[in-house]
Amino acid sequence: MATNIQHSKKRVCYYYDGDIGNYYYGQGHPMKPHRMRMTHNLILNYGLYRRMEIYRPHKATQEEMTKYHSDEYIRFLRSIRPDNMSEYNKFMQKFNVGEDCPVFDGLYEFCQLSTGGSVAGAVKLNKQATDIAVNWSGGLHHAKKSEASGFCYVNDIVLAILELLKYHQRVLYIDIDVHHGDGVEEAFYTTDRVMTVSFHKYGEYFPGTGDLRDIGAGKGKYYAVNFPLRDGIDDEQYTEAVFKPLMTKVMEMYQPSAVVLQCGADSLSGDRLGCFNLTLKGHGRCVEFMRKFNVPLLQLGGGGYTIRNVSRCWTYETAVALGVEIANELPYNDYFEYFGPDFKLHISPSNMANQNSPEYVDKIRTRLFENLRMLPHAPSVQMQTTPEDAIDTDKAKAEDDEAADSGKNDEQRISIRHSEKRVANEEEFSDSEDEGSGQRRDMRTHKPKRHKKGSQGGDTEDTSDAKTEPDTKEEKADAKA
Amino acid sequence: MAANMYRVGDYVYFETSSSTPYQIRRIEELIKTPNGNVEAKVMCYYRRRDISSNLISLADKHQSVVEELEKSKDKEIDQAKESANKETKDPVKDPARDPIQEAPKVLASLSEKERHQLKHRELFLSRQMETLPATAIRGKCQVTLLNETETLGSYLHKDDAFFYSLVYDPAQKTLLADKGEIRVGSKYQAEVPPWVAPSDRSPSPEIERDTLTYSPDHGLDDKTIDQFLVICRSVGTFARALDCSSSVKQPSLHMSAAAASRDATLFHAMDVLHRQNYDISKALCSLVPTSGPVLCRDEMEEWSASEANLFEEALERYGKDFNDIRADFLPWKSLKSIVDYYYMWKTTDRYVQQKRVKAVEAEFKLKQVYIPNYNKNESSLSNLSSSRLCESCYTSTSGQWYSWGPAHMQCRLCSLCWPYWKKYGGLKFPTKMEAVGSVDLSTTGNGATLIPSASSSARGLPAAALVGLPSPNPGVPPLGAAANLALVQQLATMKDGPCRCPMCGKEFKQKAHLVRHCITNHGLNMNLPTAATPNPCMPLSLMRSSSPRPIVKTRAAFYLHTTPQTKQLRRQCKAIIKPRHAARNPFSSVDLATIRLEMQTKPLVGIVPKKMKNRGHVVDVSHRLGMPQIPKPEFLLPTPPEKMYKAFPEAFPHKASLKRAAAQDAAIAAKRLALQSDFSNTPVPANLSVASVPAAAIKSTRKHIGNWNPTQGNQPDDQFFKATSSIKKVRKTKLSLLQIRRFARRATKYAFNMNKPNLAP
Repeated sequence: MATNIQHSKKRVCYYYDGDIGNYYYGQGHPMKPHRMRMTHNLILNYGLYRRMEIYRPHKATQEEMTKYHSDEYIRFLRSIRPDNMSEYNKFMQKFNVGEDCPVFDGLYEFCQLSTGGSVAGAVKLNKQATDIAVNWSGGLHHAKKSEASGFCYVNDIVLAILELLKYHQRVLYIDIDVHHGDGVEEAFYTTDRVMTVSFHKYGEYFPGTGDLRDIGAGKGKYYAVNFPLRDGIDDEQYTEAVFKPLMTKVMEMYQPSAVVLQCGADSLSGDRLGCFNLTLKGHGRCVEFMRKFNVPLLQLGGGGYTIRNVSRCWTYETAVALGVEIANELPYNDYFEYFGPDFKLHISPSNMANQNSPEYVDKIRTRLFENLRMLPHAPSVQMQTTPEDAIDTDKAKAEDDEAADSGKNDEQRISIRHSEKRVANEEEFSDSEDEGSGQRRDMRTHKPKRHKKGSQGGDTEDTSDAKTEPDTKEEKADAKA
Repeated sequence: MAANMYRVGDYVYFETSSSTPYQIRRIEELIKTPNGNVEAKVMCYYRRRDISSNLISLADKHQSVVEELEKSKDKEIDQAKESANKETKDPVKDPARDPIQEAPKVLASLSEKERHQLKHRELFLSRQMETLPATAIRGKCQVTLLNETETLGSYLHKDDAFFYSLVYDPAQKTLLADKGEIRVGSKYQAEVPPWVAPSDRSPSPEIERDTLTYSPDHGLDDKTIDQFLVICRSVGTFARALDCSSSVKQPSLHMSAAAASRDATLFHAMDVLHRQNYDISKALCSLVPTSGPVLCRDEMEEWSASEANLFEEALERYGKDFNDIRADFLPWKSLKSIVDYYYMWKTTDRYVQQKRVKAVEAEFKLKQVYIPNYNKNESSLSNLSSSRLCESCYTSTSGQWYSWGPAHMQCRLCSLCWPYWKKYGGLKFPTKMEAVGSVDLSTTGNGATLIPSASSSARGLPAAALVGLPSPNPGVPPLGAAANLALVQQLATMKDGPCRCPMCGKEFKQKAHLVRHCITNHGLNMNLPTAATPNPCMPLSLMRSSSPRPIVKTRAAFYLHTTPQTKQLRRQCKAIIKPRHAARNPFSSVDLATIRLEMQTKPLVGIVPKKMKNRGHVVDVSHRLGMPQIPKPEFLLPTPPEKMYKAFPEAFPHKASLKRAAAQDAAIAAKRLALQSDFSNTPVPANLSVASVPAAAIKSTRKHIGNWNPTQGNQPDDQFFKATSSIKKVRKTKLSLLQIRRFARRATKYAFNMNKPNLAP
């Protein structure tokens, strides 16, 4: 069913445990782990299953979880059960377990499996045994060090990033969930080795954090990036005006050696809790965009509360990760009836109003660009100063100076035109044919290479764009038919 | 069409009263009531004018302080986090976001008018929900959280655009920033492991973190795999044919084949392939071991029909509480298999029934509702011809006029300013009347300063002329006219609740208490608006509540001080006021507008002589100047104490006289009682009723009489007999002059039966 048209092939590791779908948060709870199972079945029937390495993650141990979480909290999670809840009243309050984050049967195992998958994916990436690791059971970005929050108990993302940090100097975390990725941001708020970027609905919305002005603290100042959005943002604006320009800039300035992408599907149109108006295409375009940078990518799940759309989305994004095109017609599967009445993969946006005016988005983006300009080029500790690095930093400096020269007054610097110019020539990081065979370079050599590519980049990118364009048109035709 | 479609999540105007501005709400839910009406559950947004001024001024003031602090501390774009943390104790948390003060330089660029209008665009979110009829929706608007990158001006240029940055809690009376916090400290951050240089990386002890269950690196092509899958399904079909329990469940071959094609079989096939190292022949063999063909069944197939029925029954009873379902209905199943089954069961036809129930429920929960444009004649449409200009833009020509503000002020708005007032809750231009329009009492000071300019201007209002009425409580400074008016207006509209005066906010259960509180503590002058009326009755605004009973107990709290201005006014506008008529008809209203006009147009006639205490003629006093021997006239001498009047105490009152007095009193009481009960017990024609001022209802009058103990001489307060026109008619027609005279002389002697007036003695 899946056809391989994409220009570059990547190795993809997919983590799934057959049990994950049968954990149940409780009656009326919007979080339904069964969506992972529905995704899995779709992946099988689309024929994506046979194109990637499928792993069953091992349960994460208490020891692993306490790399981030407090001992007491994990001990609590391990011991609490629905039948002994009353003995833990005090702790339940302390750890915010009860209402949004209920105690359910197998809670701890559920956390173990979701964490196990993400950490295993990170390890796999560290070993350079794969290009992309996918764990739809992970991405529980609200969990705090000793506190559950927003349906999340154990922050598998933080644990996976901690694992990545052993081998990677700089890890970039991107969050396209409709909610702010507060747990991850908080965990790495004061470090420059992780940059967190979150695109989320802000204002009168859970969890209340993610203000434009929250930019990190201490050493981590400017290493937290928050793009507050309003209701009803659509594909075009989200990808072209928000995601792509900002991520291009971030990749340029931060040059991470690994990327973690939280693909919360509650930013899709028609989500039970979300309020954006994205379709699979817009959502998936973000994944595709990050994939093109040829940086080890950990793709995680997250929110998503209209489960038929969640499984659609994550199936599609698995295909995106694999670089294969899949038909709009859904294959028959155990949950086929869920996808009625049209039984199509893609969803159409609703006619809700987009409250994000172009000016608003432009202003926010400009402000974030200003913040990003405060970053030293290629930050964080260089463990060994190799000649290449020295050159690189010089180069970076020179570039900085140049930038400063070119825009002497601030007004000019932040003009929309200027920012859009940046946008235009920043596609340079994307995919090109010479990489992707799997021998990824070590990050020290990886970076200068990137720069060279940048100088001669444009062309290869254009061709790849030209290639994808007809495809999307085809999809549209499909959707109409 | 689309504009009139209102959906859940839309921000809308709601009209709750024709004279007040719209309320801004967000639709959270649309519910169809059984009788076909649509109700909207809405989230409330408050305007500045709806929030007590001290809270607003606190927020504004606090903001400017923080602003300066921040500026001096940090000039970068970065916002110092610490300063935000400091304010946690204040009722206004993180006020760094009040937009009016937010960007002083932006504000400076705005004209005064724009700054004024901006205040109408600020809202305060509250978590308060209420339910309103959807028919009261009057259009859409847009409310957004203010982002500091936005210029405030952008809101002014967009119609129906509002912003908010703070959350108002109506119960706690606090404003808070709608903002979570990223905490900093070792309790919150992760410990970042050191980076290991590639050269230093020791081959770490392999921990098994995952098990490979499928790998794409095999020699098989897609076609082969597909073929293998078909074989798996056919083996499964065959296995079902052999398995007797399955053959009962799936009687037809088609059904067996369908069951064998479920995903469980396919997953098993992939597993087999991987386990046999992608060797097709080995994999095929393992599908049919010696024990017979492999049968993969999922929960859907595993469950018997009776189990399925049990499950459905349980689902109906318990809902989706699978723990309870398991405990009470299916204890032999694991929770996991129940959950698994549930999600598969949802794909079956049997689920359709459940769905139908849901569909009925969903019908009551609408997603959108169509409300046509509202174009009924608005009750506030003023058809009075008046020469007054528009209160907002001062235009004198308009197709339609709308009366605005308290009725007696006779203010009106033109057809352009009226929608603005309804939508944004203010006037387009900052005027002195703004204080009236809004209940922003913080303008007390402003009101005072505004008044001189107002009176000097051509449009000077009599309100300004009326300012300066001393308050009944000398210790309390009187309110400015505008603020006073605002307060009166506010009191007239609200039922109960807190005092809205700055720095007060006391709660009162009854409006009367609140009014009294305002009079005594805040120098509220209830008479101000109606000070022009010559009659010493209650001001109309106080009578507006449903009962005609005065809100303030007359004996204790009412005091009308007639100022020289009022006296002047009475004299000058005699023709309009008609004092004699007014005195006879204390409840008829006086046309204030014409009085005002009169005062404006005509020159002052002369100053009213102040009524002095009689101190004798000046001549009498001056005659004595320098002539001490002349005897003082009597009026100049202080009254000697012994000449002072003293009530003569009756040490031993005559028993007979006492008795007589008591008997007389008792007789009066009895008579009245008889009279009253006569009225209440016999079917009195409605128009022939006795009106008594404290209570219109006769029942309560009876109660009064019952309480009145005549021997103590304690009169029931505020009681008088009002002869209505019908009573007067009865008097004229049914009673002879003689009878009337007799009654008048001996009011208590004769019983009078209203029903048979002619039978009276």
